[in-house]
Amino acid sequence: MAATRESIKPEAGKLVDMSWDPITRIVGNLGIYTKIDFENRQVATCKSTSSMFRGYSVFMKGKDPRDAHFITSRICGICGDNHAVCSCYAQQMAYGVKPPPLGEWIVNLGEAAEYIFDHIIFQDNLVFVDFCEQMVRATNPKVLEKAEKTDAPGANIHGYRTIADIMRSYNPFTGETYKEALHMSRIGREMICLMEGRHVHPSTIYPGGVGTVATPTLFTDYLSRLLRCLDFIKSAVAMNDDVFDFFYEALPGYEEVGRRRILLGCWGAWNNPDHVDYDYRNMDDWGNEMFVTPGVVVDGELVTTNLVDINLGIRILLGSSYYEDWTNEETFVERDPLGNPVDKHHPWNQTTIPRPQKRDLDGGKYSWVMSPRWFDKRTGHHLALDTGGGALARLWATALANKVDTPYVKATGHSVLINLPQTPNTPEQTLEWKIPKWSNAIERDRARIYFVAYSAAMAMHFLDRAMTELRSGRTKVFEDFDVPEEAIGCGFHEAVRGVLSHHLVIREGKIANYHPYPPTPWNGSPTDSFGTPGPYEDAVAGQPIFEENSQENFRGIDIMRAVRSFDPCLPCGVHMYLGKGRTLKQVHSPMFGEQHG
Amino acid sequence: MAIISSGNAQTRPETPTHVPGIDQGNARGNYEKMPGHNPDGTSTARRSTGIEPKSQEPIDPSMPNLSPA
Repeated sequence: MAATRESIKPEAGKLVDMSWDPITRIVGNLGIYTKIDFENRQVATCKSTSSMFRGYSVFMKGKDPRDAHFITSRICGICGDNHAVCSCYAQQMAYGVKPPPLGEWIVNLGEAAEYIFDHIIFQDNLVFVDFCEQMVRATNPKVLEKAEKTDAPGANIHGYRTIADIMRSYNPFTGETYKEALHMSRIGREMICLMEGRHVHPSTIYPGGVGTVATPTLFTDYLSRLLRCLDFIKSAVAMNDDVFDFFYEALPGYEEVGRRRILLGCWGAWNNPDHVDYDYRNMDDWGNEMFVTPGVVVDGELVTTNLVDINLGIRILLGSSYYEDWTNEETFVERDPLGNPVDKHHPWNQTTIPRPQKRDLDGGKYSWVMSPRWFDKRTGHHLALDTGGGALARLWATALANKVDTPYVKATGHSVLINLPQTPNTPEQTLEWKIPKWSNAIERDRARIYFVAYSAAMAMHFLDRAMTELRSGRTKVFEDFDVPEEAIGCGFHEAVRGVLSHHLVIREGKIANYHPYPPTPWNGSPTDSFGTPGPYEDAVAGQPIFEENSQENFRGIDIMRAVRSFDPCLPCGVHMYLGKGRTLKQVHSPMFGEQHG
Repeated sequence: MAIISSGNAQTRPETPTHVPGIDQGNARGNYEKMPGHNPDGTSTARRSTGIEPKSQEPIDPSMPNLSPA
């Protein structure tokens, strides 16, 4: 139901098996197994697998709930603070505590810095390896030839005359932008450390508030770093637009790469302390006041912005995963605090029962990832939502919802306006992210840099509000609470690469059930029990191949661009299997430039 | 649970949990016990130092009281 393209049935014997396992930039060993029809230059089928069992939901049971954010932070080595914050949101609901406003602004500032740092390092140091001059020369030499002759429309902003000049600046280790981005990501991490004590696993974020001591120096230290980043961000947005627009122009039909039906989920980011009280019964109200509006977008239509609806619609399905169904296990939460029934396959009621077995890609089980879906009560379908790499869904939902209205960022109903102030080297700038025609690889990548600008602009707003609190002398950043014997809680947040939820059940003062759902299980999920493929599979299956190389030299760059546009975490290596028993081992790391230059 | 052979547990899952009898940092009433933290959410120099804090207060009472970290 979620597939965008009709499945291809090429003649037997003309398909070539190609697999990338592990694929880069994911924690958890993602593998992509495809069958490619070289005669028609198309990917016929795609399976997404994970060979790593995590087990957080298993070993969290019985622990003190106050440890949850410290433990779940370790789920990820790059966005651990998103987990810590999300866990604190869930705990705050369970404990019935609301942090003081200054504590909330400090958390928001830390998370804004995380989006800036993480999106920059992923975009400019990892994604653009796929679009850099060396890679394009190796995969599409004719495109590079054209890029050399094409003037960059944004040259007056970023200073690069041609598209090829921009591509050269992204060459690993040697390119100017590549090196500058590394520096920016370091500054971003310093900003996180100022607010959250440490990166990746924060030491001063707790349920009830923060341990960061708020002083004027804290915020001015943050501001000076933010202004430095803003100079970089302004030119980065122009460079991204130039390169991505050029790809559409140079390779007609490139919009099909990684394209899938518009099925986007965003769980909202940055709570507004003027409204949030962490009471589930008011979650619709305060969820709609978040600085990134939560929402589910189906075929370009905003289905809901209500966090209660979003919560109750979550279903964890099996089908191709190495687990047993938990239908006969305990039901922890029969009804939510509003009296709505909670499904047996909702995270609150999930019991993880691992069943390791041999991988079977032909109709059997093949992944440790489950299949999170969102139940659309209008149609009765279990939708395989993706996050668009995080940024695309956030901007799309916020734009359509038309609720965010701050001095720096404003939603319009069809776009998002981002006002960036004058900074040491650049004048004031207003950016507009417009809802694109497609949910595809290029638009996921483009949205990412716009969301960096969004975060930086929002950080300016958070600084204004935090400084107002401080200038009034309200320095309180933590609220006391007692841990209840019985409680439930849920936290909704945006990890950098998309939706993040933590569901918690407390009994006898200990964790009885805990289920974190980060974005990658949504994006990288295998085919579910209804036969619906996961987003990676869906986006890659049926996509055309634009690479100029023959089967012998095939690098799979278009498939890599499609999968990496979802931002599947960190790099290690790519091993490509080219059928007929020949294995090409290609190390796809920052050393790429040095080895092939 | 799963049929996975994992040997005997070396620790109890709740080992790092709270030890009865020891004050909990998050417990209600702790804020009031901390010197230098006022009920209205403001603070004084006493939160930063115990040595003659009164001499460290702002010279003008209308100024926000922002003691060092």
